[in-house]
Amino acid sequence: MENLAILPQLLMNALISGSILALAAVGLALMYGLLGILNFAHGQLMILGAYLLLFLSQTLSLPLLVAAPLLVFAGIFLAVTILHLTILPFRNRSPLLCLLSTLALSIVIESTLALLFGVNVQTLAVGLTPAIYQFAGVFVTSLQLLIVCSTLLILALVAVIMGYSPFGRAVRALAAHREGAVTLGNNERQTVTIVFALGTLLAIYGGVLVGYDQSLQPYMGTSFTIKAFAAMILGGLGSVGGAIFGSYLLALVENLAIGLDLGPWSIPAGFKDAFAFCVILLALLFRPEGLFQRGQRKF
Amino acid sequence: MSYLVAVFVLTLITLIVAQSFNFVFGLGALLNLAHLSAYAIGAYTTAILATEHAYPFWLYFPLSIFVSAFFSLLVSAIATRLSQDYFLIGTLAFSALVTALLINWKSLTRGVLGIPGIPRPPFLTSPFVSPELAFLILVIVVTLLSLAILLYLFQTPLARALRAQGELEAALVSLGRDTHLIRTLALVISSAFAGAAGSLIALYLSYIDPSSFGLHEMVLVLSIVILGRPGHFWGVIAATFFLCLLPEALRFLDLPSSVLGPLRQLLYAVILFGVVFQRRAVLFPAVRRI
Repeated sequence: MENLAILPQLLMNALISGSILALAAVGLALMYGLLGILNFAHGQLMILGAYLLLFLSQTLSLPLLVAAPLLVFAGIFLAVTILHLTILPFRNRSPLLCLLSTLALSIVIESTLALLFGVNVQTLAVGLTPAIYQFAGVFVTSLQLLIVCSTLLILALVAVIMGYSPFGRAVRALAAHREGAVTLGNNERQTVTIVFALGTLLAIYGGVLVGYDQSLQPYMGTSFTIKAFAAMILGGLGSVGGAIFGSYLLALVENLAIGLDLGPWSIPAGFKDAFAFCVILLALLFRPEGLFQRGQRKF
Repeated sequence: MSYLVAVFVLTLITLIVAQSFNFVFGLGALLNLAHLSAYAIGAYTTAILATEHAYPFWLYFPLSIFVSAFFSLLVSAIATRLSQDYFLIGTLAFSALVTALLINWKSLTRGVLGIPGIPRPPFLTSPFVSPELAFLILVIVVTLLSLAILLYLFQTPLARALRAQGELEAALVSLGRDTHLIRTLALVISSAFAGAAGSLIALYLSYIDPSSFGLHEMVLVLSIVILGRPGHFWGVIAATFFLCLLPEALRFLDLPSSVLGPLRQLLYAVILFGVVFQRRAVLFPAVRRI
């Protein structure tokens, strides 16, 4: 059973890539639950955030303590602009319009990044040599530990805010019954703006982690958008907890399928990304309402 | 002269892709993101059959159309049951899956290396016209034929039913029409034309690789249909010529191709967003519910 020795490492890898994916999927799920729109540019926003940090920390060579708050401000500014330019003008109209406008936005972000930074692969982790730990046959860098721990902390915080704070109640009320919530004095515009900014900041943080852990390329956003869609579909569209679970599940399936040595049935590593697409198709075919949700979906 | 011929050939091939997309997206409001996958499959079918198996044109051209149509039969088996958001995600997954297969199924597609040396059909070599001009004539014939069929299809009951299922599906169902079948037909028909266009582009370029069929190429087709008014046959023709010739002006700026590509995408995306924003009140009336 030599091929099972690699199992703990695969689980660790799944935890890392699942964390990054969860950061993307939560923002997407929040927005879908609240406004019923799919933000097509979500993956591109992740990558844009990472490139912004690249610009601040490497081109302007600002220290991270200065660059990070600037990045947060830039993220909030971006979120508010995008929300009011590409999403809110199309409310109460055909959902196609919002899909088209965010699709256009995603291409605008991609091609602008390609024009400004070039199409070559770059990384945020320049001059960084993270310590490598080993326990029980699992190799993990200090950076990856930081990724997993900070993500779990952030996700728990988001879950607490959404579940127990007055703001979270306002969000859930709006998602459940818009007219009712607005009649009872819920400031819809403000709630939507804060939720979108929150989702964008989570995505940007996820993008920054990608930039540190792997590498950056202007056209890699679409694959994150699709994977986040897949994670969200697994958990049921619009459910935050479901999106988090779906992210880790998808990462687990991907890593196990590619990593385990199945002899002649081994799957080549090049097909790793194709898994998310197959998961989407299977989910749409058999359980379009999500793995755990009962009852009818809206047609 | 050869520059003009090249621009004209590419514009006409784009016209077939855009007009067939107009059929499914403009009339039926079905945002099929896998449309260019059918185009890619047509191109690859032609490339593989014409190089490795040395099939004649009369065999691989219909086969390319057929394989693309069959692919979209698979797409519609999953996607036509879904509402708009899910339809988009489903077709997006198909599109990404096809790209992943083109890159990774190396024994069939040679992966990112692409397929070079696709021969043009021998009947195009004639003593009277240059090979470029002969190919242009072939493209013109195929385009006119496709447009004629599509123009006819735009006036059939199928087109009216397609438009109706996008606006008020319940009404159509209550009249006893099978909306699932209507959507499947629309997807298969439009993909068949995309497959024909793919076959032509493979023959014209004589080299294809996965990067020419990515999702980001979809923005051109989308902006053509939106600018030319969805469901509007002649508007889409005019928009195709306008949007295909527009970036040719950029060529005179003497920019490197690494800048030209993204700049072209940016231009199309900005036009797409501008038109959607400007015409949001009349574009795709909100789905009516009873």
